[in-house]
Amino acid sequence: MDTNWAAEHLQTIRTLMERSAVYRRALAPIMLFAGFVGALAAAAGILFHLESSIAFGYLWLDTALFSFFGALLIARRQAIKDKEPFWSPPARRVVQAMLPSWLAGLVGTSVFRVVALNDPRLSWWLLPVWMVLYGLALYGAGFFMPRGIRLLGWLFFLSGLAILVVLAIKNISDSIPPLIYAHYLMGIFFGGGHLAYGAYLYITEKGKNAA
Amino acid sequence: MNPEPFLQLDRVIHEKGRLAIMSMLAAAPELSFTELRDALTMTDGNLTTHIRALQQEGYVSVAKSFQNRRPLTTCSLTPAGRKAFAEYINLLEQIIRQTKGK
Repeated sequence: MDTNWAAEHLQTIRTLMERSAVYRRALAPIMLFAGFVGALAAAAGILFHLESSIAFGYLWLDTALFSFFGALLIARRQAIKDKEPFWSPPARRVVQAMLPSWLAGLVGTSVFRVVALNDPRLSWWLLPVWMVLYGLALYGAGFFMPRGIRLLGWLFFLSGLAILVVLAIKNISDSIPPLIYAHYLMGIFFGGGHLAYGAYLYITEKGKNAA
Repeated sequence: MNPEPFLQLDRVIHEKGRLAIMSMLAAAPELSFTELRDALTMTDGNLTTHIRALQQEGYVSVAKSFQNRRPLTTCSLTPAGRKAFAEYINLLEQIIRQTKGK
């Protein structure tokens, strides 16, 4: 008797369970929270003229860590509310999918801050690198989540690559703009991007439920 | 190979559509009819038929309410449904172990 079907059945069951797991239902508030924190950080960077490499690095690294732990808290609260385990196999898979990119971003940023200590313009390069890595993380996690998250991953990934190319061109003509403009772009993508996706999820989920 | 685990598989759950519904409901406290329909890309009629079959077996409970003045149908697994689903998974794992042990 061919028993491959049993393994395939289990795989299908696992995938379907992951799609309806707790983090999926917590996704809209998580995205809105991340967007709000991102927009707030960008506003702080612009208002307080945080244009040194150290200030830029600390601001956005702290923002990323704050958003990450905030997202974990929101997912945990949702799990408690629904009387479900928080650290479930589906949740572990999402974290595993995102971990390499997150780790690369964290270590890369720490190393880069040492290298770019005396030249704030060098910190510009962090922006596209973060966007590409974050796009890859979302894309990886998207295999266990709604399709929209992979599209958001693509948006970050492609926009990051585009900014990388523009920066390279600007670098050749030695016309890289002041670091303050990087806060604007961070606000647009990490603030506005998350807020727009969170609002989209919130509206579509509400529409789906009421039928 | 021992065919015993295969013969013990619950025929109601083993059907592809019903297994998909049970899998989705096993990971969530409850899901709306439309969430299930969209996630599994089933037609309304097909999903209704499968849910009715699972309901008759006592595996799924269906609740009807209103949200924003619109009817809302939600489905969830009953304790009997959770137990049957867990047993089904155990049997699948047994079958896989047998194959690997051959």
